[in-house]
Amino acid sequence: MLAIVGGKVYTITQGIIEDGTILVENGKIKAIGEDLDVPADAQVIDAQGKFITPGIIDAHAHVEIWEEGIGWEGMDVNEHTNPITPQVRAIDAINPEGLGMRDAVKGGITCIWNAPGSGNVIGGHGVTMKTYGKVIDEMIMLEPSGIKAALGENPKGYGRRGKMPATRMGSAALMRETLLKAKKYLAKIEKANGDEDKMPDPDLGMEALVKVLRKEIPLRVHCHRHDDIMTAIRIAEEFDINISIEHATEGHKVVEELAKRNIPIVVGPSLTTRSKPELRDRTLKTPGICAQAGIKVSIMTDHPIMQVRDLHLAAALAVKYGLSEADGLKAITINPAELCGVGDRVGSLEPGKDADIVIWTHHPFDIMTKVEKTIVNGEIAYSRCCDNENCCR
Amino acid sequence: MLAIKNAKVITITNGVLERGTVLIENGKIKAVGTDIEIPGDAQVIDAEGKYVMPGLIDAHTAIGLKEGGMRWEGDDHVENTDPVLPHLRAVDGFNPEDVALQDAIEAGVTTCGVMPGDANVLGGIGFAVKTSGSVVDKMVVAEVGLKGALGEQAKRMTGGKRMPATRMGTAAVLRQSLLKAKSYAKKLEKAKENPDKEPDRDLKMEALVKVLNKELPLFVHAHRADDIMTAIRIAREFDVKLVLVHAYEAYKVTRYLKEYDVPVIYGPNFSARWQVETRNLREDTPAVLAQEGIKMAITTSHPSKPVMLLTFCAGLAVRDGLCREEALRAITLNAAEIMGLADRLGSIEPGKDADLIVLDGDPLHLMTQVEKTIVNGEIVYSSCC
Repeated sequence: MLAIVGGKVYTITQGIIEDGTILVENGKIKAIGEDLDVPADAQVIDAQGKFITPGIIDAHAHVEIWEEGIGWEGMDVNEHTNPITPQVRAIDAINPEGLGMRDAVKGGITCIWNAPGSGNVIGGHGVTMKTYGKVIDEMIMLEPSGIKAALGENPKGYGRRGKMPATRMGSAALMRETLLKAKKYLAKIEKANGDEDKMPDPDLGMEALVKVLRKEIPLRVHCHRHDDIMTAIRIAEEFDINISIEHATEGHKVVEELAKRNIPIVVGPSLTTRSKPELRDRTLKTPGICAQAGIKVSIMTDHPIMQVRDLHLAAALAVKYGLSEADGLKAITINPAELCGVGDRVGSLEPGKDADIVIWTHHPFDIMTKVEKTIVNGEIAYSRCCDNENCCR
Repeated sequence: MLAIKNAKVITITNGVLERGTVLIENGKIKAVGTDIEIPGDAQVIDAEGKYVMPGLIDAHTAIGLKEGGMRWEGDDHVENTDPVLPHLRAVDGFNPEDVALQDAIEAGVTTCGVMPGDANVLGGIGFAVKTSGSVVDKMVVAEVGLKGALGEQAKRMTGGKRMPATRMGTAAVLRQSLLKAKSYAKKLEKAKENPDKEPDRDLKMEALVKVLNKELPLFVHAHRADDIMTAIRIAREFDVKLVLVHAYEAYKVTRYLKEYDVPVIYGPNFSARWQVETRNLREDTPAVLAQEGIKMAITTSHPSKPVMLLTFCAGLAVRDGLCREEALRAITLNAAEIMGLADRLGSIEPGKDADLIVLDGDPLHLMTQVEKTIVNGEIVYSSCC
């Protein structure tokens, strides 16, 4: 048994415990509270004066699918041979040994939604995964936990190679056609009613999209501009599916539209420049404005666009520009956990949940903060042994 | 006349004044201290509880050259048609309407070094610019350096169609250019006695002669330690002033940076490691460089990282071991010194340009907001109204 004693504990869902104790057993949180008895045989971590949060969750990243420190050899983020690739799976391209994954653990990021890029209209399977482990298969929490899709400038890149889509109209048409095809595929399955002879020819992409049509998982649509957001909403309503808006750079312009439909958004990456026209109206106020209206806001790094380990600072900047501190913490814990289909397992400190815990030297929104310890599944995955940043790598 | 009173004044060169006053006249700092009389006709800013410090300086950006909210239409950063273009002038590609300039002003960045080329072996002359203004010619402070590049980008720029395709090629192209300029400079010298021997004017050579005469330093983009050493080798061969830019692996060769007195414009210090040559980005490098006594400015290298995050970069360096005073110097006076502008910029001293910012808290604190930005004595940004 592991006991974390002392420290200011941010449970996220059950308030703040000023001087808390957390008991961990068999990879799960066993108990949490102010005056818990610590069993004599427990390994005790003294967290006096420290800040404790659940493991941080990055709702949208490409960690080590787009590998760091090597060139094209490690670039596996966009299968840019076809704008519709629902059959491809992020898990087949993730290098768990890469620099970014190690940094994630070091930065207190214990869980990520790791997904294909935004080059394709339908990009493929995203995975909700832990960041600590040797092989991806043991790190998977839920897969697919969402299908990546994209509107706006990026997928239009196909037009330059003489292929559809070359316009926003083209992207929308391809998305519709693909969902229509999946709808027919689903109809055939339902009609077959278990009769193998009547089943459609197996199609990996269609099977993934059937999960979307059945609302088992969301279509997670990359949109920056508000007109692209409205296109995503239009198509979602036509096909009666759940979506999230990824990036939502102009989310603040269509707050009511998002709020009345309960569409979650994942904002970011914020520590970057406005490198293209669809980012021109980017403001760090978007998370605050949207959360105020009741929209469920998560914050992403979009690693490596912004480094995964800096997620807490992206949330801090959102707080600087109007998001409440509580919503800022939710945006990197429970909100992404729920969006990524694992809200019952991670995202808050509660008995029965996975023991994914971060011990910080300062409040996570203080720029001076460092991670003291990252605990994943009850195991100490990272421990800062001294002030030499590179000693503990 | 403008007076800022009751402020916590971070002068950079003369410590921190509690309840200090800064007097500004004709765009310059007239006086700074704790017992300064404010003339009756002065416009007074009561900065009770606030911090005042010099306007921030980012010595290496492409602000105005690689504009925000645009793709190729606003990208005038790298003239990638020839590896040797020392005669380009960043001032000719600078758009004062780049949206990032407003970000800079609101974040308290009052001067930027604007450098062309990240890929050309010789990319052109960069200049320092005040971030407030509508016409570049009125915003220019001075030419500050000739930009060069070593490493991956330099050898990739031509796509192998011509030299350089290797690090050897890059070094050879740089040497050959400097050698050619040296003989051009000799001809110019001879022509002083005999005007008939005046060589034909050559803009490329004229730019390089400025480097050979030490009027301008060579700003060399380099990441890897071996590229840094190549830059030092060539700078010594031709006896030119060298400034290193980015220099992620500078921590490996501090001994030589120290020995040859080479300053470093370091950064951005938080970034994904996009290339092989950036693989060894370490967060403690600013602390190591300062500890070894190397003159260092911290840069966002905008738009690599947004210029508005300059204090954020300095704050991260402090988190990772740099002392606070050094961090503040690295985004003010050190940047001014490396650009040769310390007589005008980088600290709050009488006679210097009145580029100041008023903050509602510690400048390195993430939640601190800039309340006022003053450039050349004019209030160009006020957060409240």
